[in-house]
Amino acid sequence: MAEAIHKKLQSELEKYQQLQKDVSKSMSLRQKLEAQLTENNIVKEELALLDCQNTVYKLIGPVLVKQDLDEAKATVSKRLEYINGEIQRYETLLKEMERKSEQHREVLSSLQQEYQRAQGQAVGKV
Amino acid sequence: MLLDMLYIVLLVVKDCRSQIEHWKKVENDYESLQDRLRTLPDKLSYDIMVPFGPLAFMPGKLVHTNELTVLLGDNWFAKCSAKQADALVEHRKKHVKNTLDDLQKVMKNFQNRADFTDDLEKLTGDTGDFADIREEVINEEEVTKGKPRLALKPNSKPKQEYLLELEEDKEKKEGDEERTTGVLSEEELWARLDELERQEELQDERYRLDSTDTNGEDTTSSSEEEKEADGGSDVQVNGHQKENGWVPSSITSQMNGTNGSHPEDEEEEDCNEEAGNGLPTIYFSHTAEFKKVRINTGKNTTLKFSERNEQKAQAKRKKKSGKSNGHSPHESYKITSPADIYRVFVDLVNGEPIPRKSILKSRSRENSVCSDTSESSTADFEERRAAFGRSWSHDDATHSDTSDGITEEESPTGTSPRTNGRFEAFTGTVIEKDPLPCSIPHLTIAPPALPTIPERKLEEVGPEAPQEPPKRMSKFKATRLHQK
Repeated sequence: MAEAIHKKLQSELEKYQQLQKDVSKSMSLRQKLEAQLTENNIVKEELALLDCQNTVYKLIGPVLVKQDLDEAKATVSKRLEYINGEIQRYETLLKEMERKSEQHREVLSSLQQEYQRAQGQAVGKV
Repeated sequence: MLLDMLYIVLLVVKDCRSQIEHWKKVENDYESLQDRLRTLPDKLSYDIMVPFGPLAFMPGKLVHTNELTVLLGDNWFAKCSAKQADALVEHRKKHVKNTLDDLQKVMKNFQNRADFTDDLEKLTGDTGDFADIREEVINEEEVTKGKPRLALKPNSKPKQEYLLELEEDKEKKEGDEERTTGVLSEEELWARLDELERQEELQDERYRLDSTDTNGEDTTSSSEEEKEADGGSDVQVNGHQKENGWVPSSITSQMNGTNGSHPEDEEEEDCNEEAGNGLPTIYFSHTAEFKKVRINTGKNTTLKFSERNEQKAQAKRKKKSGKSNGHSPHESYKITSPADIYRVFVDLVNGEPIPRKSILKSRSRENSVCSDTSESSTADFEERRAAFGRSWSHDDATHSDTSDGITEEESPTGTSPRTNGRFEAFTGTVIEKDPLPCSIPHLTIAPPALPTIPERKLEEVGPEAPQEPPKRMSKFKATRLHQK
């Protein structure tokens, strides 16, 4: 009996750990997105400072490709929106994962209690 | 937990600091870049040493000095002039400054928190939740409330009649000579009993030694006796090795452990006179006034024990006698044991202090404690005070045989009155916390020191030496005797 509980406990523990890892991964991704967000904001502002005369280039791989200023502005705005969307998505994902991990935690604790009880009983019996 | 908090806060602070440093460096770089940008277009071309790989340089020329390709971020570039680049740099610097400011704010907040936590920790000391609360006791001979004594016989009824528990009145002493003793709580009474017992034991010795008066004697002895009669007296008296008899005070939280310190002197509020054990110390000072202890001194008078007076007395007494410690706050009436009470409440008959049979009974007018006080207080009030701590025993001792005789007398008589008193109806009023009107005759034990300080003083001033012995008997005794 104790053995079965023990096994269950182990499996639950593993699942929980996996979940935790996912959570942390999502967290880091989200942080990256946030950095990109700020950067793109700055780019947008700086593009606003420029006038039409300056040529704008975009680095695609090893190539600097000429871009139109307006186009660049548009692109940057679009990118900004995209990043915002991504962040939102990650937010929800993180919440979900958090909830799941909470559930797992509870399950784990209950299992642990059971296990201990079983252990106690086993010891008692012995 | 505090430590953890502190740790985390410190970590955050450290992090903030490093970040701030980083951003400051960035700002400096931008500054130097701006300088370069301003000087760059001065010349059409510059001769420079061009870095050629990681280890070599090559002479070269820097041309198109006004054409700059600026990285805007996120793989976006823009070709612009030096001035435009300068503007861009300026714009970036603004961002950096904002970041820096935020970081500074955060750091300050966390720093404050860390400091606060630090202070808190220092306050609580390494011991965590313990702090030593000390109250400086200026006047050690203050009224102490009944020492908490462990009642070994919790079922025994503490004597209520004696007002052994002198509660500290918040009233000012008006100089009346009435004293009302509050009713001690049971435990305190027991504690007091114990204490008084021990004191009584000591007193016998002290009687021989001390030459001070025994205002307290009677009271204490009587109280002691009474307590004994109470049948209690298994109660351990805590820390009463002190010589001071003190009127059992009321509910203070006397520390049992105040051996050696002056339990009596402790005031209501748990003033812990004992030194802390190296813990952070909180100095406490309480401002409560002593309650008055009203003791029925026979003549339907009650002696009011004014703390102030007692303190004064105590102070004086202390000066006089180096020994007194923890003296009864009450002036010379240090009642630390039932016997003391009897000693204090001595009926004065023909100038002789006669122990009263029962201090519960109202004494006749002539034997009012007040008058007794005169008897007993004829002794030097100061002395008495001083002696009070030593108390009754001292008094007896000083007084000589009479006192001794009296003491001895008291004991047996004390017992009987005590027993009597125990079973007699209490005809007086037990003053608990409310000061009884003076007009009400109550059987209260007024520590002799109390009653009439003026009276006593007079008496003290009066015949001192010769009268001391008789006085030692104290009014209580006298009253008692008289009553009998």
